[in-house]
Amino acid sequence: MTTIQPAAPLPGMSFWQGTRRSFTTMVRKNGFGLIALVILALVILGPLYSVVLWAFAERWRYPSLIPNEFGLKFWEQTFSRADILEALPFSIVLALTVTALSAVICLPASYAFARMRFRGRQALLLSFLATNAFPRFGLYVSIAVIFFRLNLVGTVPGVIMIQLVNTLLLMIWIPTAAFQGVDRSLEEAALDVGASPLRVFIQITLPMVMPALAAALLLTFVNTFYEAQGALIVGLPRVVTMPVLMYSLINSQLVVQYGAIVSVVLWLPSLLLLLMAQRLLRGGYLTAGFGV
Amino acid sequence: MTTLPTSTSGSLWRQRRGLILAYLLVAPPLLLMVLLIFVPAIQSIARTLTTDTTGEAGLSFSRYIAFFQDPISVSNLVFTFQVVFVTLLVIFIVCFPLAIYLRFAQGRIAGAVQILVLFPLFVPGIILCYALIRFLGTRGTLETVLSIFGFMDYSTPYLKPSAIIIGLVWESIPFTVLVLTAGLRQISDSLIESARDVGANDLTIFRRIILPLITRPVLIAFSLNFLGIFGAYTVPYLLGPAAPQMMGVFMQQTFGQYRRPDEAETQAVITFLICSVVGLLYVRTVASQRIQQEDAE
Repeated sequence: MTTIQPAAPLPGMSFWQGTRRSFTTMVRKNGFGLIALVILALVILGPLYSVVLWAFAERWRYPSLIPNEFGLKFWEQTFSRADILEALPFSIVLALTVTALSAVICLPASYAFARMRFRGRQALLLSFLATNAFPRFGLYVSIAVIFFRLNLVGTVPGVIMIQLVNTLLLMIWIPTAAFQGVDRSLEEAALDVGASPLRVFIQITLPMVMPALAAALLLTFVNTFYEAQGALIVGLPRVVTMPVLMYSLINSQLVVQYGAIVSVVLWLPSLLLLLMAQRLLRGGYLTAGFGV
Repeated sequence: MTTLPTSTSGSLWRQRRGLILAYLLVAPPLLLMVLLIFVPAIQSIARTLTTDTTGEAGLSFSRYIAFFQDPISVSNLVFTFQVVFVTLLVIFIVCFPLAIYLRFAQGRIAGAVQILVLFPLFVPGIILCYALIRFLGTRGTLETVLSIFGFMDYSTPYLKPSAIIIGLVWESIPFTVLVLTAGLRQISDSLIESARDVGANDLTIFRRIILPLITRPVLIAFSLNFLGIFGAYTVPYLLGPAAPQMMGVFMQQTFGQYRRPDEAETQAVITFLICSVVGLLYVRTVASQRIQQEDAE
């Protein structure tokens, strides 16, 4: 495994030798961090730079590094397009519906997984990994073929169902872990002094799992809002969500700004997540959707 | 056995009622998963084997034979494999050093590197594609920057296989680095130091301490990335060439454009079968990690 070497180590010194400090100084001397930072900044932020500037450009001729003219003229045009005006609110309502349905279906189950003892509990909980274990688009095609025979292609219920599949793992695993993490002694103490089980649940259990539930709901909403592949294969031609509309905006490319403006607007929910990235990372929620 | 005391039978009943309630609560999501994952998958496998290309019933491999006799289908499958292989290679070459760096480094630069590494997680695939077109495409930002430095022979990767690889690597960096870093964090400095104290050399430390501890994260990163690339659609469709196509694009074209669900189904099952080993590897690895964690608690 030569790939493990981040940079040429100093003579006579292997990179994992000794303490954290010796490694850090080595890294610093080698400038690995600095080089990585510069390359990452270029590669990660470069593409976004192009899109954001295009959204506010009225004229951008090659080879200018910034637009020749800034302006909001195309924003008006973009938001007077009938397809966008229709798809945007529809997408929001659709994502909210899928998130709410997913919560209703999954949250009681996650409580049971965390608190109740029954045969096969662990195996059933792990079985939700199956949602990740298929090549996604192959699975969608397989679902779409069934929906095709059931006349569910091009219908809203069809799109809702295919999008629900993606939410299961996240909406079950995050809340299950949260319910498992609640300190039972607090609940028992409240029960001892005569509080009803319902009251204990609302006043003690719920506040403790709330951050995790909020994270699960938010991640589910954002993931669903951006879900394009299932919606594309099951939704078209009659159901068009905003991300699906993006495909045609990108492919037709009549006006560069349309795609750029829609990208910027569509990106807002993700920006919200980005602002909460630290908290999501610390809670381990960011990788929960992958089953780890 | 004589009559049980009523209180015991009551609690027994209560126990059973609790059990029924538990199963009732976990049933809806399980049912949904069975109906939308297992039923379609199994039905597709069964149908492709029990009906031939003309739709006649009976055990037949004719649909698969037709797939493997069609040069376009085969070239698309081979192309998918090539993209999977190269992309995985690039992902690990990029992410391993980053993960090791983030595991051991501290300070402002490391913090900034971490933010940038996580950033793609917050950029939806479709927006990424559009951004990459504007960045890498002809007369895009990259070409502009290069021309300012006097480099004029820029040839865009857009609509070439390399653009697919760039897009897919871009998307998988955060997840891969997160998983690898989490694995590396389990290796404590003191563990390495004490091994060194008893005279272990670098190779021994890597083989006996580091490798066993990062096997699982590497397997998870490998399997999920493999499945993700094999089942990709948006990036290869928007950034890749018209031919050859990756399987996702090929299936969508067969199903959506040509309206041939039977052929699309055969293509889907072929991707299932190829990915089944990797899918099982993923489930097994995550499951064993979970069970170990639960036992530890």
